[in-house]
Formats: sequence, C-alpha cells, structure tokens
Amino acid sequence: MTHTEIRQAEEAQSLFTEAIGNAGEINELLRRYGVKFGIYKNGVFKEQFFPFDPIPRVIPAEDFHLIEKGLVQRVNALNKFLFDMYHEKQIVRDGIIPEDFIYLSKGYLAQCEGITPPGEIYSHISGIDLVQGKDGAWYILEDNLRIPSGASYPLIARELTRIACPGAFAQHHITDNRNYAELLRDTMEHVNCGGIRAILTPGRYNAAYFEHSYLAELTGAVLVQNDELFVEDNKLYQRTYNGGKTQIGVLYRRISDEYLDPLTFYPGSVIGIPNLMEAYRSGNLGLINAPGNGVADDKGIYYFVPKMIRYYLGEEPILQNAPTYLPFYDEDRQYVLDRLDTLVLKDVSEAGGYGVVFGSDLTKEQLSELRDTILAEPRRFIAQEVIDFLDLPILDNGRTVLRKADLRAFVLTGKETKVWASGLTRFSRNPDSFVVNSSQGGGFKDTWVLSR
Amino acid sequence: MGTISLEHSSRLYWLGRYTERTFRTLEALQGLYDKTIDDTAAYTAYLAAFGLPDSYDSSTAFFHCFLYDKSNCDAVAYSLERAYDNGIVLREAISSEALSFLQIAKDTLKRSEHAENILLSLLPLKDTFYSFWGCIMDQVYDEEAWNLIFCGKSMERLMLSLRLKAPYAEVSRIFQKLCRRLRFVPEGTPYRCDPERLEKLTAYLSSETGYNMHTAQAIHELERIFEVSP
Repeated sequence: MTHTEIRQAEEAQSLFTEAIGNAGEINELLRRYGVKFGIYKNGVFKEQFFPFDPIPRVIPAEDFHLIEKGLVQRVNALNKFLFDMYHEKQIVRDGIIPEDFIYLSKGYLAQCEGITPPGEIYSHISGIDLVQGKDGAWYILEDNLRIPSGASYPLIARELTRIACPGAFAQHHITDNRNYAELLRDTMEHVNCGGIRAILTPGRYNAAYFEHSYLAELTGAVLVQNDELFVEDNKLYQRTYNGGKTQIGVLYRRISDEYLDPLTFYPGSVIGIPNLMEAYRSGNLGLINAPGNGVADDKGIYYFVPKMIRYYLGEEPILQNAPTYLPFYDEDRQYVLDRLDTLVLKDVSEAGGYGVVFGSDLTKEQLSELRDTILAEPRRFIAQEVIDFLDLPILDNGRTVLRKADLRAFVLTGKETKVWASGLTRFSRNPDSFVVNSSQGGGFKDTWVLSR
Repeated sequence: MGTISLEHSSRLYWLGRYTERTFRTLEALQGLYDKTIDDTAAYTAYLAAFGLPDSYDSSTAFFHCFLYDKSNCDAVAYSLERAYDNGIVLREAISSEALSFLQIAKDTLKRSEHAENILLSLLPLKDTFYSFWGCIMDQVYDEEAWNLIFCGKSMERLMLSLRLKAPYAEVSRIFQKLCRRLRFVPEGTPYRCDPERLEKLTAYLSSETGYNMHTAQAIHELERIFEVSP
C-alpha cells in the first residue's frame, strides 16, 4: 500500500467505527431477510448470501451533482438513439455510427422495427457502471440498458444498517436512498397502459430472484411467472385462481429479450409468453425495459455514446468514457496491436465480467493468438486503457484493506429522468483482480451520497 | 382482490399446512421427549400412530431423525424446508418481515442440533412461529390470501389431531375453526370444499361417539375434502 492508501484505510477505520463494529450484526440481519443471489456452478444451482462490506462508499454532494447531470444527459441520449435505431436510423445515415455496429450487434432486434413504446421511452431503468480514477475523475465503464440488476441490495442494506448503526447516520448528512421503490413505481405508472403493475420473473432459481420478489413487495406490484399469463385481443392478462383474469398494464420483465415471446423471438423459450409482443406493439402494454435495447449497450456501441450526446442533444458529454479504442478502425487497430500488452480487451458479446482479458496477464504466445483473432474479427473487441481505479477500503477478517470497486448507478426514466441518490458499489475480494461481479465472488457496499 | 394466481393459491395453502406441521410436530416431539425421561421406549407409540416402523436403535436416534433429518418427510426439518420453499416465492404477498421468521426458524433448528439441551434450545422455535403467524395476521391485507394460509393451517392441525387421536373437545374446536375458514373460500376456486364430503365429515365429528367410532373415515374424508365426490 502507498502512503495515501494507508491513510485512506485508517480514515475509513476511524470514520466508520460503528459500522465496522456491527458488521456481524448487519450481515446477520441480511441473512435473516434472505438477501441472497443464486449461482450455477457445474450445472448445480446454489443460493448464497451476498457478502456485504459495512464500510460505505461515500460520494460528496458536489461529486454526485456532476454524476447526476452526466448520467441524465447520457441516458436521455441513449433513449433518443434507441428511438432512432428502430425508426429512421438518422445517426447511421449521417455517418456518425457505422452500420456494422447496428446490424451485426446481437442486441439489435429487427422484430422491434417501427415499434414506438409509450412515452418513446426505451430504457426506463438504466444501470450505468462507473469507476473513479485515482485523480478523482469519474469514468463511465459500461451502460446496462436491458435488465440491469442490483438496486435492491443497497436498498435493503441501508434499511438494516440504519437499525444496526443509527449513530453513523446521525453523524453524517446522508441522502436517504429508501425512495427507490417510489421512483420505480412512478416509472412503471408513467407507461402503464391500463391495468395492474407486474414484475415478471423466470422463477425462484434465477440469480436475482431475491431482487424480483423484494421489488414486487416494495412497489405493490404482482410478481408473476409466464404460466399464469396469457394474451387475448392483444392485451396481457394474469389468470386468477377463481377462473377470472386481470389485465396487466405495465410489465417490468426480468427475463432476457430472446426468451420473452416464443412466437417472435427464440421459439424454444419455455419462460416466455406467446404474443406478448403483439400486446406491446398494439400499445396495450408498457414493457420495462423495451426489447431491443441491447443495440445501445453493446460494448462496441459504448465507444459512440459521447458522439450520440453531441448528435442528439448538441451538448458536450459531462462524464467521460474510459479511453477506448475500436480495432474496427484502422488507426485504432494499429494502436491496439502495438500496445496489446498494456490494454484491457473486452469481447463485445460477453457480459458479467466474462470475456475480459488484461494484456499484461498474457504470455507471448497468448498475445500472438489474440493479435490474430483481432485481425480476423476486429468488430468483436474493444480495447481500453487500464484505469488506475481508486481502491476502496473493505473489511477483511477485521482488517481494513483496499480493493478494486466500481459503482452501478441507477437512472430511472419516466416523466423525467432521475438518478437514484445511491447505487450498488461492487468490489473484488481478490487483491489482484479488477473483476467485481457477484457471479465471480465479489461483494457489495452501500453507497452514501452526502446531502451537503 | 382477484390477483391471486392458481400457483399462488396453492403456495399460500401449503405455506399454512407446512408451518403448522412443523409447529405441531415440534410440539408433539417435545411432549414425547418429556415422556422418554421416564420411559425410553415412549417414542414407539408416536410411530404407531402414523403407521411407521420402529427402525431406531434408541430414542436419541429417533429424535435426531424426526427433528433434523431433511430426507425424512415426517421430520421437523423437512416440513420447515417445505414451508420455506413456499414462503420464499410469496415474499410480496406475505412480506419480508414474515418471511424472515422462517429464516430465523431454520437457523434456530440448525443451531439446536449441536446444543447440549435440545429442549431448551428448541423453545425459541415455538416463539418464532407465533411471531410468524402474528406477522401474517398483521401484514397480509388481502383477506382471501390470509384465509388460504389459515385454511391450510387449520386443515393440517385437524389432520394431525385426528391421527394422534387428540381429545374430542380439542378436535371439535379445531373442526369448527376449519369450517369457518372454509366458508370464506370463494366459489370456483381450488380450495372450495366439496359440500357432500363436508357433510359426511360433520356427521363423523358431531359427537364424541361418532369421533371414536369413525376416526379413520373422518381422516379419509378430510384428505379428499377439496375433491368433488363421485
């Protein structure tokens, strides 16, 4: 650890004495309330508690103000881009984005062409991943516009931490984050086409089942599975136990696009609802998030988001991307090939921390193999400079140590676009790893946004 | 309220049944544990009441199997796991608060397995179930959902009381409670009982003599109370 890092760890230790002292109690409360996530290992489903670190990430008010403005700007541009993609594609015609990045993207769904969702909103809930560099600057790492998960964890952690450590909240001026359910309910209601609110889950054995059921409880939505739903006269209904039916006006679906409707997408889907897309296309159903959003959160399209902001909003981006290169462009490809051993390479079709390779970890032979793959499939990768993350203090067997961490901010778009004053801070428990995903053993922290 | 799905109605009903089965099995075993202090073979009567063979070397082996063995469908641990399986998919209907008591129950049971004094270590488990049901009464505002849970609970209690040949006065009280709850189940739903079967059951349980003579028939009708009689 550097001198600054040691100071950081010591500061955390003294600032959060109460939280550190009550770490056991907080984790016991999280266990009690079933804060779990599921994971499949070698084909076997295992439910495990999500390791919580009691030392919060603290974001000063002025930093959050900047993040908030930048995220609202980014998500508004992304929503405009999605509308454009499924209508005129003017940004492609104007040569800002090459068409390869649209039509070759797995996330582009031709079946969504011409559909205008209620309020022209595609990404109602956006999960934007950021990191803070050691210079204090925030960088956007990734946009998640399909079904970003994770808000429920800091939400329940805050509720329980306030019970276990009231003093910490009395001492600091922390913005209350327990309004997420209200924000989500308003977002759902804004696109409700007439009927009840429902959350569609693939079922108990989904990795994020806790979140699905907890958000349903907090928002007063009905938690549903596909076998109790049907479409009739282009309207979505829930079959009730007395033989009746209840219309669903807005569906927050927590299953992937390809499984949503077997008559439109993957025909073998057993968790979808036949004709769901017809209800959506007819304007009788609000779908959160809209199908087809994958075209905008593809790792390849990430490179173009600052250009989108300029194109659609006529503004300069407030938040910067991590320095990124596209081997698709000759100039970038040469740079990437020359500096392969210092960059991080990401396969655009992978997610969840998979398909990420650090050049510095590769042998000469592996680098040569990667070079050949890039030359053969330049569209498949993006390359980024390795950002010197600001490490965050975490508690490890009673000791405060520093680990890599990111921040998933949640941006909700209804009548207007709002940033939730909190977020999911994920960290790596492995001192040598940059990968913070829970599926790969990472833990989480609450994110405190200071109110002044 | 009209938003209870078929799947949910079944989960609610079985949540009531399995929580009650866990609680009553625990209660019965506690009573039995007390008896074995004076008579080490007292547990065999319990096995006989359920038509189960005595394949246990000792009362210790019996209690361990009936308290903690998750593969034994008559064990407390088994019923508790099934109660939890039903509860976890009902979080939004029963509340996180109510669900948390099932997690506490699981943790308490697990801890008691290694306790020196099993009876003492199991006492908080009963408190937890009283809290769970209290929480259900307090947090579940949908009367149909609430009634389904308590229908399941009363059904299980009556079934166990009949099998364990509980005193008539107790059986009669439980049966009256079940009848009141069954009346609130809406027509055209899976847990609306068959009136003919209910009539027969009422005939068997309307007097102590009838109860003593027709316990087996009463169990038979109760097991099929939601099926339409041929």
